[in-house]
Amino acid sequence: MSRPTSRDTRLERDPAERAADHAAIDRLTDELLPALIAKLGATGLGELEVREGAWRVRLRRPGGPATRDRRATDRVAERGSDRAHQSSSRPGHVTPHATARSESRSVATSPAVGIFQPRKDLTAGARVRAGDRLGAVDMLGVAQEVVAPMDGMVGTSLVEAGEAVEYGQDLITIEFGVRPSTNGTGPS
Amino acid sequence: MFKKVLIANRGEIALRILRACRALGVESVVAYSEADRESLPVGLADEAICIGPAEAQRSYLSAPAVISAALVTGCDAIHPGYGFLSEDEGFAEVVAAHGVTFIGPPANVLERFASKAGTRELLGAHGLPTIPGSEGMLRDDQHALAEAERIGYPVLVKPSAGGGGKGMRMVRTSRELESVLKVCRSEAKAAFGDDSLYLEKWLDENRHVEVQVAVDRYGHGVHLGERDCSVQRRHQKILEESPTPALTPAARAELADRAVRAVVAAGYENIGTLEFLVDAHGDFFFIEINCRIQVEHPVTEAVTGLDLVAMQMRIAAGEPLGITQADIDFEGHAIEFRINAEDAANDFRPGAGTVERYHAPGGPGVRMDSHLFTGYDVPPYYDSLLGKLIVWGPDRATAIARGRVALEELVIEGITTNVDIHQALLASETFLDGRMTTNLLDRVGSAAFLAAAARV
Repeated sequence: MSRPTSRDTRLERDPAERAADHAAIDRLTDELLPALIAKLGATGLGELEVREGAWRVRLRRPGGPATRDRRATDRVAERGSDRAHQSSSRPGHVTPHATARSESRSVATSPAVGIFQPRKDLTAGARVRAGDRLGAVDMLGVAQEVVAPMDGMVGTSLVEAGEAVEYGQDLITIEFGVRPSTNGTGPS
Repeated sequence: MFKKVLIANRGEIALRILRACRALGVESVVAYSEADRESLPVGLADEAICIGPAEAQRSYLSAPAVISAALVTGCDAIHPGYGFLSEDEGFAEVVAAHGVTFIGPPANVLERFASKAGTRELLGAHGLPTIPGSEGMLRDDQHALAEAERIGYPVLVKPSAGGGGKGMRMVRTSRELESVLKVCRSEAKAAFGDDSLYLEKWLDENRHVEVQVAVDRYGHGVHLGERDCSVQRRHQKILEESPTPALTPAARAELADRAVRAVVAAGYENIGTLEFLVDAHGDFFFIEINCRIQVEHPVTEAVTGLDLVAMQMRIAAGEPLGITQADIDFEGHAIEFRINAEDAANDFRPGAGTVERYHAPGGPGVRMDSHLFTGYDVPPYYDSLLGKLIVWGPDRATAIARGRVALEELVIEGITTNVDIHQALLASETFLDGRMTTNLLDRVGSAAFLAAAARV
């Protein structure tokens, strides 16, 4: 990716340079940004910055519940070793699931503790928009909506219909349309 | 007995209930909020379930979330601990409607004892002297002035709902009363969503003494002695002990005996605590009943050798008490120090943060009930209790000596605690002589109290 090295030369760029800049901006908004947002969501970090050549992209979390998913993963990993989770095979047991987030996917989580029912017509590969209803968690007879966290395609269902889930549990992965190239980028 | 219990609380009491379940061979599930995911009760649990976000209204105080958690994990009982939903008769009723047992008094019993004024009347009718107070809630300022005149100044203005000293003011004249009513109403409204107030006679130099009772479903009741909770700041207990140094053995026996007879006659069920004010002459007046396990229950466990949480569970499961008053032996003296994340030198400002180092004291007669560990982040969302240090000795002097050693040994680094106020108490002549009244700290202010202790 190329970019003018000084502000003074900005207006003197030739059409090829301008086209390259626009291509870079397009790639940032279409591929890199969604991937970074997903990464920020998955890690529990407060801020993420990526530098590539002279370009720099910084994302900052607006504050709020943040660290849940990373912690859940750590805890399961820590406890997996010994006595702790022999109970996971017992009926009715609920264990926080390791997160399935990565650069190319996000996960719809449970808004409540209760019984999960996915939307009947929901199929893997279906396109969804952020906020679309994916199913519901029944908490004492009151349906709490499970919604898509962002635009994408319905991926894997991590929980069976009728299964007990806890608050914040990962339920359905949402895949992004295009797997971004992370070549040469990374959190700094 | 139950097969599986949902522990719907956090902190040290969640840990205490978990231990009781294990001792009874009962499975348990710890229900927790997102803020408590890394907490000790969750880490030690056989099974744990996240019921909501940090905000208590959507987790520990959410009846649907708690009951749903019990149902999906296959629990047949819910232990509410103290605070949160522990005395909510509506919650107890919905729990029962879902075929789950509420570990505490049944909903109809909670309802009978829900109103403070109503309970005073009820237990007064069953032979307990009650603190003079207004008849029901205050309708308006005129009614308040008339009632205060009838009761006699000084009086304490108290909100009908809640506790913890909010909305409470002591006044000595009608002019003072008129000026505080508005403040009390708005404080009560803000804290509890209910601005109804009532009046209680204020006793200068009063002691706070409470009686622990246990009553089974079949009307058999025992008392487990009393606890002196006179060491308070702004109506919040910080140190409790048993037996009380305020009363003679004969007076203590009479108080406890009358308390248990009154609650049995009034139809109480499960464990409970009757709070009394004791005046300078040793006369006692019933003020209110707490229908739950209390923070200070280990004091009673130390002098009786009984497990109160297990007893509470057995009674809720419908088992008979299995003991009579004659079976209960009281031995020695116990003191509990509430260790809070707060700064006694700075108006008890509450604190939160990371515990950089934690070490619990030990030795004969020393018990530490705490959910702390090195590296634990104390969340800012809940109350400031970090743990309870309980010391026991064959007599009060030995208990105090062990308390001094244990407080010295206790290490909590990274957050400000009130350990220094406890050390100052153990240097206070008034406390050492057992002459403390509920205004021991408030009369001089905590900063001055600490400074005075430092000079000794």
